[in-house]
Amino acid sequence: MAEEKYPINIWVNEERFEKLQKAGLADMCEEMLAGLKVIRVYCNEAQKDKILKTFPTAKFDSATTKSIELLPREVKDKIFDKIVEKQSIDIMDDFLSQY
Amino acid sequence: MAEIGHGGKEIVERILEPTEAAEKIKGLTAIPIRSQIANEVIDLAYGFFTPLEGFMGKEDLDSVCKKMRLADGTIWSIPILFDLSEQEIADYGIKVGDTVLLTYQNNPMAIFEISEIYDYDKRAMCQAVFGTDEEKHPGCARTYAYKDKFLAGKITLVNRPKINPPFDPYFLPPLEMRRKFKEKGWVRIVAHQTRNVPHTGHEWLMKGAWFQTYAELPIEKPLVGVLVNAIIGEKRKGDYIDEAIILCQDQLRKSGYFGDHNHLTSLTFWDMRYAGPREAVFHAILRTNLGLTHHMYGRDHAGVGTYYGPYDAHRLLATVQDEINITPVYSMNWLYCPHCAEITSEGLCNHRDEWQKFSGTVIRSIVQDGVKPPRLIFRPEVFDLVMECAEKYGFGSPFVTDEYLEKRTPVFTIPPLSA
Ligand SMILES: [Zn+2]
Repeated sequence: MAEEKYPINIWVNEERFEKLQKAGLADMCEEMLAGLKVIRVYCNEAQKDKILKTFPTAKFDSATTKSIELLPREVKDKIFDKIVEKQSIDIMDDFLSQY
Repeated sequence: MAEIGHGGKEIVERILEPTEAAEKIKGLTAIPIRSQIANEVIDLAYGFFTPLEGFMGKEDLDSVCKKMRLADGTIWSIPILFDLSEQEIADYGIKVGDTVLLTYQNNPMAIFEISEIYDYDKRAMCQAVFGTDEEKHPGCARTYAYKDKFLAGKITLVNRPKINPPFDPYFLPPLEMRRKFKEKGWVRIVAHQTRNVPHTGHEWLMKGAWFQTYAELPIEKPLVGVLVNAIIGEKRKGDYIDEAIILCQDQLRKSGYFGDHNHLTSLTFWDMRYAGPREAVFHAILRTNLGLTHHMYGRDHAGVGTYYGPYDAHRLLATVQDEINITPVYSMNWLYCPHCAEITSEGLCNHRDEWQKFSGTVIRSIVQDGVKPPRLIFRPEVFDLVMECAEKYGFGSPFVTDEYLEKRTPVFTIPPLSA
């Protein structure tokens, strides 16, 4: 059985989009919900558990979207910066290693 | 003409005029109450809880737990209790037969005629009402937090609560609500129970329920309304602030997504118990008393965690349908389909692989990231108002924070008795 993957939706506002464009990463965005730009970073079960434990405001939306939501803006900014730095969305291990 | 509420009983406001009140409260022992109890004092006095006239006695409580009925057989699903510790009872010198004065914010609020003092096994109560006795269930936690003794007796308000802005236009107790419905000429009204700022998924839940409720009625003039009944009670950190909930719900009407002819926003004081099926039955009773004819129920109504199945509430409602005076309207979820390029019902669209579901949580997450969601998902007027409420009422945040809990203006205040 393939391992379950749980996305964190990094919603891309203008500021974030500008950074992506500068880094030539604009096509990393997907479009969701009638025109919202988003970058989806996927976590495995262990990473999901660590995130929910480390950031108590975060919530796993088990009913509707199966995504990890409500991470503080600063945390998402850090994840976002990591993506830009590594030019990849495969950054969760690296990101979580500092916690 | 008498207004008849749940259980076939007339809705009577148990409220004294100020001069009579001033006379009646002379010499009574004053007992300060917490907001949780004050909310229910208001509900009892204005008839939201008809046929209850006061806090429950042991026979009613036992029957509610074991049979989901009051002792006289009327359907009732949630205990309505007044608690004190043994020590407090001794300190106040209260005994059965006494009449005491309940005070709130240091002002006289209601007369409480104590007819019984008793105890009850809280664990058994939890198991019966919530289907679990786990402390992590918020309804159980609330039950375990009760002190050890329960006091029963009739409640009479001596002092009307002053509902503070911006909530004041939205407090419509049963008799006033029913008058309002008559003025509007609505013959069917469907209740939308909410604790949320509406996204278009919610908007379409209401629109769908409006269609369902309209059914075979003639369409020459508007006969059906949606009543948004926001639950105002205990807040948890991260919830939307009350001001944003009530004002944004009403904004859907003000901005024309609905109109005066089919939409009204109101509030009821109630702490959610998250009792799932039993709370669904309770909501039916509450809205019957408010004069509604129909009630929306989605999946896992008033549920929490994984305690209840998505359709458990619907099944329980079906068992009491003949004894409650309101028709349930069941709602399927609404979602965004990029193929249809619209909000659609999961019961209609078949582009299943393309569906993009969204929840209140996702919208909160988007807003928190500083992104304005597209108008198809979240109305711009609602978004702007959420931001305005954050500044005006939320100390910078549209979500409940410690600061908000500490410094917010209360929804209502009990003024000094003016007589
Ligand atoms: Zn479709």
